[in-house]
Amino acid sequence: MPTLTLHALTKIYAGRRVIDSLDLEAPDRQITALLGPSGSGKSTILKMIAGLETPDGGDIRLDGSSLLGLPPQRRSAVLMFQKAYLFPFLSVGENIAFGLRARRLPKAHIRAEVRRMLELIGLPGTEKRRPASLSGGEQQRVALARALVVQPRLLLLDEPLSSLDTAVRRELQVAIRDVQRRMGITTILVTHDLDEAMAMSDRMALLLKGRVAACASPKELFQRPPCVETARFVGVTAFWEGEAAEGWLRTPFGRVRIPDEAVRGPRVYAIRPEHIRLRTAPGESALPGVVRACLYRGAYLEVQVGVGEKTVRAQLPGSEDPLPAGAQVYVHLPPEHLFPVAA
Amino acid sequence: MGGIHTMLRKHALFLSLAPALLVTGALTLSGALYGLAQSFGYLPLAGGWEFSFQAYRNLFAVREFWVALGFSLWVSAASTLLASAAALSLGLALSRRKAAGDTFILHWNLAFPHLVWAVGLLLALSQSGLLARWAAALGWIDAPAQFPVLVRDRWGLGIILHYVSKETPFLTLVVLAVLRSQAEGYQLVAQNLGASRFQRLRWVVWPQVRPALVSGALLVFAYDFGAYEVPALLGVRYPRVLAALGLEYFLDSDLHRRTEGMAVGVVLALVVLLAALGAQRFNGDEADERGARS
Amino acid sequence: MKRFLRLGIYALLLAPLGLFALYAFSQRWFFPAPFPRAWDASAFLRLLHNPRLRSALGQSLLLGGAVSLLSLVLGFPAARALGTRTFRGREVVWFLFFLPTVLPPLAIGMGLNVLFLRLNLAGTLLGVVLAHLGPALPYVIFTLAGVFRRYDPNFEHQARTLGLGEARLFWRVTLPLVLPGVLVAGLFAFLISWSQYLLTLLIGSGQVITLPLLLFSTVSGGNPATIAALSLIFVAPPVLVIALTARWLDDQGAAIQEQF
Repeated sequence: MPTLTLHALTKIYAGRRVIDSLDLEAPDRQITALLGPSGSGKSTILKMIAGLETPDGGDIRLDGSSLLGLPPQRRSAVLMFQKAYLFPFLSVGENIAFGLRARRLPKAHIRAEVRRMLELIGLPGTEKRRPASLSGGEQQRVALARALVVQPRLLLLDEPLSSLDTAVRRELQVAIRDVQRRMGITTILVTHDLDEAMAMSDRMALLLKGRVAACASPKELFQRPPCVETARFVGVTAFWEGEAAEGWLRTPFGRVRIPDEAVRGPRVYAIRPEHIRLRTAPGESALPGVVRACLYRGAYLEVQVGVGEKTVRAQLPGSEDPLPAGAQVYVHLPPEHLFPVAA
Repeated sequence: MGGIHTMLRKHALFLSLAPALLVTGALTLSGALYGLAQSFGYLPLAGGWEFSFQAYRNLFAVREFWVALGFSLWVSAASTLLASAAALSLGLALSRRKAAGDTFILHWNLAFPHLVWAVGLLLALSQSGLLARWAAALGWIDAPAQFPVLVRDRWGLGIILHYVSKETPFLTLVVLAVLRSQAEGYQLVAQNLGASRFQRLRWVVWPQVRPALVSGALLVFAYDFGAYEVPALLGVRYPRVLAALGLEYFLDSDLHRRTEGMAVGVVLALVVLLAALGAQRFNGDEADERGARS
Repeated sequence: MKRFLRLGIYALLLAPLGLFALYAFSQRWFFPAPFPRAWDASAFLRLLHNPRLRSALGQSLLLGGAVSLLSLVLGFPAARALGTRTFRGREVVWFLFFLPTVLPPLAIGMGLNVLFLRLNLAGTLLGVVLAHLGPALPYVIFTLAGVFRRYDPNFEHQARTLGLGEARLFWRVTLPLVLPGVLVAGLFAFLISWSQYLLTLLIGSGQVITLPLLLFSTVSGGNPATIAALSLIFVAPPVLVIALTARWLDDQGAAIQEQF
């Protein structure tokens, strides 16, 4: 049963529909990532769910009942921001206890819970420390503990890791995922970082122009994005337009085999850069091109090939030798990796 | 409950500003406006309006008024300029090193009200004061009368000395606040581009410091121009400052004299407002210039 | 060179206390002597037994406390609005609060004197408190507005999503976050009231005698020892308060000045 449902959610700022009749379901006990470019209104959605902003239209439902009438403190939807926002005038332990004290729970219970959470996030024995004495990653861990200790119905993560450096971020991605699984809290993660969204979420929703452009599992969205915009966002750069018939796509640069025999008429096909192969001799599904640049990126070799006026980026295994600029190559598009996208 | 809540939320801005505005308006502004009205002949105790410029005509006709106005302007302008110049050089000298003690010692000055500072100057600098005693002990002078007249002098030097010594720390804090909040990078970039020490001062430091210093100097000028107790302690009876003249007129038992006192108050306020306008122009131009350059 | 400059400034600023102490504890110190021949605390003892001084001290403390408390209560919400929100007419509001900081007290006080006479507020402690609010309130507002300009409302958002209601939000989150600024603003208000001479003179109508009034009248008649002792008593509370709040002044000092 889906826990959180956004229905026709709308937010207008200065006459502009920042969020435009958006629908989304965040299933129970899962992490749903909201992915989108900066300025796409991701954080606004979280603030509306938390009750810090009022929607201009639509509904927010949790387990079927609307949250809209409730003030933030009674929604049980805890936000975590990019900054930890640990209260500087409270100790680490008091910070974690904040939500429990707000609920006026017994002292002994609070003390036990704080200790339990500190164990859970791997910072036992730091109750008495001042937040400023912790590292950025540790502060974010404490913020996570402070959010989870109240056992919220929803955990709202607003780019919680983007101010941390890569190593700490990776480590915390695992930690958050782990704690969230164990406690089974429905979570919405807002981020602009594709890697992070894929690593952490069960479902990914791509937010473009105030609407959900696509929503699927990370693998599905990454491998088979349904439309051009989504495909661009997950790193696809080459699109092939042409006339499809009898298992072939006729492009201006030559014809390539496509996986569907039955498709006919004008179509757009896409392929992930790591699936493109380069050949030195012509063959089936291979379009002629000229190497423009070759960049060694460690894990892979990026070759930019000019095909007509297009530039195709191919990612070859890192062990391959670089190609000289100006070399004549054939861009091979394996049919099993070509997929149709909506224009 | 929801009704009251949304109503409060809707009018939150108004509700949060209203009490302070009401108090400021009811006290300061109505005080000033009441004085203005009275100076034009509004005498509620003597039967209402009788609009006239009489008070101003009387006031402008006496030499005493023009002397007082000139003396006030001289004292406050000289103090403001000297204190600003001193603060600028001090600020530049102190800004290089970040010493907590510096800011503390400059704030320390806040603890001494003007009145006490003036009393201190009297005790130290009058002809029978501490410095005169030390001069005598060193054999430089034989009698108090030989010590130079540093306070209660005709030229208001004692008053100026007071204002400069009391307000330089304040303005230095203003300058330091700006200098320390500005990134050192600008100076480094300018130096790297080949600007000399003086050029960096003129093109990089001064444009940054100027708006804050001008605003601070305005506060200083406004205070110096309108203050009563400092000139009363450190000045002489003639020439005296405008505030002293105004207060004397106001405390006079003659009703017409009181009205002239109110007129003096209006002149005081007017000069200060003109200075504020000038300062704002000065800073406003600066802001425009910057906007055009960027 | 810089070190000497620094030492010079320190010495000059600390000198007043030494000067007052020298005079206050002196006994029959006549002209050519560079230092008093004899020392005692008789000037202080005389003052402390003087009922006029006790009453003036009490009135000044009461006024300062009332003015700083009232201006904080009135100024806090206004400062928050000015510091965090943009709205139509903001410049006008700003200007209205700015006016009392530059208008000479005489220009305000004379009109206020007549007004308060009609309202039966002249000569009362309440009247003087109100008069002091005039210059004190804007300083509190500008100091706190500077604090609020750097205030991050996400702390409050965080607390609310953690389950804290509106009523407790102020005491548990907002106030602790801005407390240093509030203390400094209160201190400024206290100092403004504490050192006010002309407004007290004009509104107090001789009924309310504060320390500045007493000091002023003593200067024109008293002996140097009494004057110095009275000065020391007058600066003792502010010196104490400044010394205690010094560590916050550094952050806030810049804030008040950037307003104008």
